[in-house]
Amino acid sequence: MTNGHPTREEDFDLYVLGTLEGDEKLAIESHLAGCADCARKLAAARGRVAAISFAAPRVEPSAAVKDRLLRQVRAESQAPSRAISESAKVPARGNGREFAPPEPPRGLAGRWLFAILAPACVALLIATVILWRENSRLEKQLADLGTSIDKAERQLADAQEMLHLYTSKDTIKVALAPKPGMVKGDGEVMYNEKMGLLMYDGWIAPSPDDKSYQLWVVPMDGKPISAGVFNPATSDTAHWMARVPEGIAPKMFAITLEPAGGMPQPTGPMVLVGGT
Amino acid sequence: MPATDAALVHKIIQRDEAALAALYDRYAGMLSSVLNRILRDTQAAEEILQDIFYQLWCGASRFDPARGSLPGWLLVIARNRAISRLRRHNPAAGEEILENTVVMPFDLESTTAQQQLLARVKGALESLPKEQRAAVELAYFEGMTHSEIAQRTGDPLGTVKTRLRSAIETLKRNLQSTMSHNT
Repeated sequence: MTNGHPTREEDFDLYVLGTLEGDEKLAIESHLAGCADCARKLAAARGRVAAISFAAPRVEPSAAVKDRLLRQVRAESQAPSRAISESAKVPARGNGREFAPPEPPRGLAGRWLFAILAPACVALLIATVILWRENSRLEKQLADLGTSIDKAERQLADAQEMLHLYTSKDTIKVALAPKPGMVKGDGEVMYNEKMGLLMYDGWIAPSPDDKSYQLWVVPMDGKPISAGVFNPATSDTAHWMARVPEGIAPKMFAITLEPAGGMPQPTGPMVLVGGT
Repeated sequence: MPATDAALVHKIIQRDEAALAALYDRYAGMLSSVLNRILRDTQAAEEILQDIFYQLWCGASRFDPARGSLPGWLLVIARNRAISRLRRHNPAAGEEILENTVVMPFDLESTTAQQQLLARVKGALESLPKEQRAAVELAYFEGMTHSEIAQRTGDPLGTVKTRLRSAIETLKRNLQSTMSHNT
């Protein structure tokens, strides 16, 4: 470092990448806190490093995610605004006078009135505190219920898609069998070309630490399309649903052994395979 | 002509659901890909994806498009969330807001632009020697430090450091050339 500045620009990239440790990491962190020039370089490094994301095989999310997101957003819009409920607790003008305790009224009638009203005010205050606590408890319960409903809706959306896949006359089933000399395994693919939906169910011996299994839809024309990467490290069974582009006529389905995390196109040996 | 990211963020601040849906359509595939690559778990990836866009909906006013790139910011958040989940680490509160400033001088607002960058990044990575590419992927997609990569690959720590530094230099050079192609 020169005057505390990292001497090499790659240091910013390595810092963003998260590979620096110990003194190297501390040195750059302590310098970044007060250096605008290096903060700009760091922002540029973040952009460069983030571009590595594009090395990941393209995986489209299921349509259910967008549906759930928009339902979540709508539910929030329809719920009573927190801002409004908060503002209701705050006096209209924050000069403090609203919270000043009332002075006892003067005169005999006033003192009687005060003697009656003061306990009533105290009772009202206690009731308000109790109601406020109850309201907080109910708000928390409501939030918990909202989370449960959201989870249930996700499960329902998945179940509906699965049901549609099972019942559609356009769904085909393809058994996957092991290639000779490869690990033992067995699987089945349900595939609906019109829906662009695929479900895999099978078992296979766990892959080595630095490898993953990857399922491919091999079309009649064009390159194979990834339909999921998995590594049954804890169990030898795997089951999932995946979305692929609609309208792909498959020639076969295959599971290959790839470097950990999968590859954009198959590079490793076929382990399980099944033709249509 | 499609609305810019900045215009859509402005509309989200005004609680326009259609703007959120438009940004989702623009970037969900890009984020889903990196989340799936890191987590290798479709359900976990989709949970984080939904959460990121919900965070955008709730906190759009804190994002200043003039200071940084929205897709860059989304990618940084996605990677951090996925790595944290993978490594069972909870990021410090507020960490993500600080990462607001991500300068990404690529046009990613159209699918074509994303595909072009995808092709160039893949090309740049494929041009690296095999060991360098593997080190970059272990660092980026598995969140490994120098020592962890050395432990995983069995290579000396110094070799791993040199390898990653060379890889970063090459990628930077190639991506700068991409930027000059784009501008």
